[in-house]
Amino acid sequence: MSYPDRPGGRVGRAGRLPELLVPGLLGALILLFFAIPFAAFLARTGAVGVLETLATPEARVAIRNSLLTAPVSTAIATVLGVPLAYVLARRSFPGKRLVEALVILPLIVPPVVGGAMLLTAVGRFTPIGAAAAAAGMPLTDSLLGVILAQTFVAAPFVIITARAGFGAIDERLEQASRSLGYGPLATFWNVSVPLARGAIVAGIVLTFARAIGEFGATMMVAYNPRTMPTRIWVEFIAGGIDAVVPLALALLGITLAVLAAVQRFGRVPTVIDR
Amino acid sequence: MILELEGLRHRYGEELAIEDVSFGLEEGELLGLLGPSGCGKTTIVQAIAGHVRPTAGRVFLRGRDVTGEPPETRRVGIVFQRSTLYPHMTVGENVAYGLVSRDVDPDRRGALVEEYLELVDLHGRREAYPSELSGGQRRRVELARALAPRPDVLVLDEPLSALDRRLRRQLRGEIARIQRETGVTTLVVTHDQEEAMALADRLVVMNAGRVVGVDRPRTLYESPPTPFVASFLGRSNALPATVVGRHPLSVTLGGREVAFDDGPDVPAGTTVSCHVRPEDVSIHPPHVAVPGTDPVLSGEVRHVEDVGRRYDVTVAVETGDELLVETSSDPPAVGDRVAVALSGDRVTVFDDGSSAAETS
Repeated sequence: MSYPDRPGGRVGRAGRLPELLVPGLLGALILLFFAIPFAAFLARTGAVGVLETLATPEARVAIRNSLLTAPVSTAIATVLGVPLAYVLARRSFPGKRLVEALVILPLIVPPVVGGAMLLTAVGRFTPIGAAAAAAGMPLTDSLLGVILAQTFVAAPFVIITARAGFGAIDERLEQASRSLGYGPLATFWNVSVPLARGAIVAGIVLTFARAIGEFGATMMVAYNPRTMPTRIWVEFIAGGIDAVVPLALALLGITLAVLAAVQRFGRVPTVIDR
Repeated sequence: MILELEGLRHRYGEELAIEDVSFGLEEGELLGLLGPSGCGKTTIVQAIAGHVRPTAGRVFLRGRDVTGEPPETRRVGIVFQRSTLYPHMTVGENVAYGLVSRDVDPDRRGALVEEYLELVDLHGRREAYPSELSGGQRRRVELARALAPRPDVLVLDEPLSALDRRLRRQLRGEIARIQRETGVTTLVVTHDQEEAMALADRLVVMNAGRVVGVDRPRTLYESPPTPFVASFLGRSNALPATVVGRHPLSVTLGGREVAFDDGPDVPAGTTVSCHVRPEDVSIHPPHVAVPGTDPVLSGEVRHVEDVGRRYDVTVAVETGDELLVETSSDPPAVGDRVAVALSGDRVTVFDDGSSAAETS
């Protein structure tokens, strides 16, 4: 038998536009929009001594602070957010809409406003803030404040992504585990977490990237001590674009390194799982 | 009794899923739970496994009331319609999963995994991942996984529905063999009457959340207790008839008076429905006297369907009803006038008053 007209054959290919031509072209436009500023920014690299700038005490403190705070914020968001994501994926309960709105809230509130909100809750002159400060752990203008700001802004990413991951698991797989003798917690560890791993890891990466780059809320809650983003702002005010380049590159490098490490060890093909 | 359900009822919000469901499984029995989709079968499975707490009623396992117990303390092995093998574990790890939780020591565990993989004829695939197996092999691993912890009862929830016809038939035989070899008390839940009849020692037929018949498959088929069972277990024709006498019940049907040994006890003049299976109806040339006492109706052929090993002939009869007739040879042509004869002893009579409630 022969099918000369089958798709992909000589006849089928002639006189037809590729199916993905239009979406491909539209996508290319937005890619250009991403790529041009990126390339232009990198083109400035030669203008300043990157390593010398990064070696200054101010820059080293900022890098250190960022590397201290962002992993902690990410860990907090993961440890508290993944269980919440599981509950949201598995149960419906009165007020669930409200809980879901609350999860989205930090995403739709501008970070600088989120920072202002945090200040009204834990600022130096609020009961919580005053008590913490009296105990020697001020919640503003401290690394703790940075962590609060980062967690507030970045945690929704891991919650939302993990929730989608848990939601994609057939509940019967968990039921089978229960019938095979495992309680709810063991089933969560043995079945749900491994099966949602891709989504959870993707959420952790997004949260980390968001946390280490957090500026708006951090600026409000803890302008000091400086993190890389707040330091970048200070450099920009003082020295313009070129002054920003070294720390910006370092920030980009750290984020890319974390992404690469996670992809390598987490065996996640892309940020968006399958 | 290994498993016993007592007056089970469950509602999801306002919606009643099951009502007054009671039946039991004897040791080593293979019971079929049969009903159309949406009749409450899944709710029963979930109540047996412990994922749904019934609104009322009780579940007993080996005489112990487990209604309030979580799934992990019941010894119920479950195989669902869709595969629930863990993709991140090998076949061996999947089968061992239910043994680890029950603290079977590692040596014994390994031996049991071998034993059960052998039982399902997959001993060479221990190191494979579920994604490397065919649909039928995955089913068999699931059976091994469910059986390895030696459950009190094995529940198979539509185990073959997701497979193609050939595989379904083959695995049906496998399930029967495995059940025979292990002697495990088994509940097979299905909407496929052929599957249920072929597998089960006894059948529980459900409709609209209620049990409408419990008996051996052959008994249910030959003397269905309700019109629903008659039409759900195989195919059935329903014809209205008028009662002319009681003790014994006799009705006029097709111009003849037919007497029945049993049937509803209703006064003369009542309209009843007579059910007869397509294979118990025969086609004759018109205006030729059919010998015997069987009811005969005249009609016109509406439709002839060649389904391979037989013809399905639809005849519009004088009462205004359509009758489905199976015939193995020489089907009439569409438009032919014919006479159809019903085997009088194969007709089941239902009181219309009660049947209306049961078929709705």
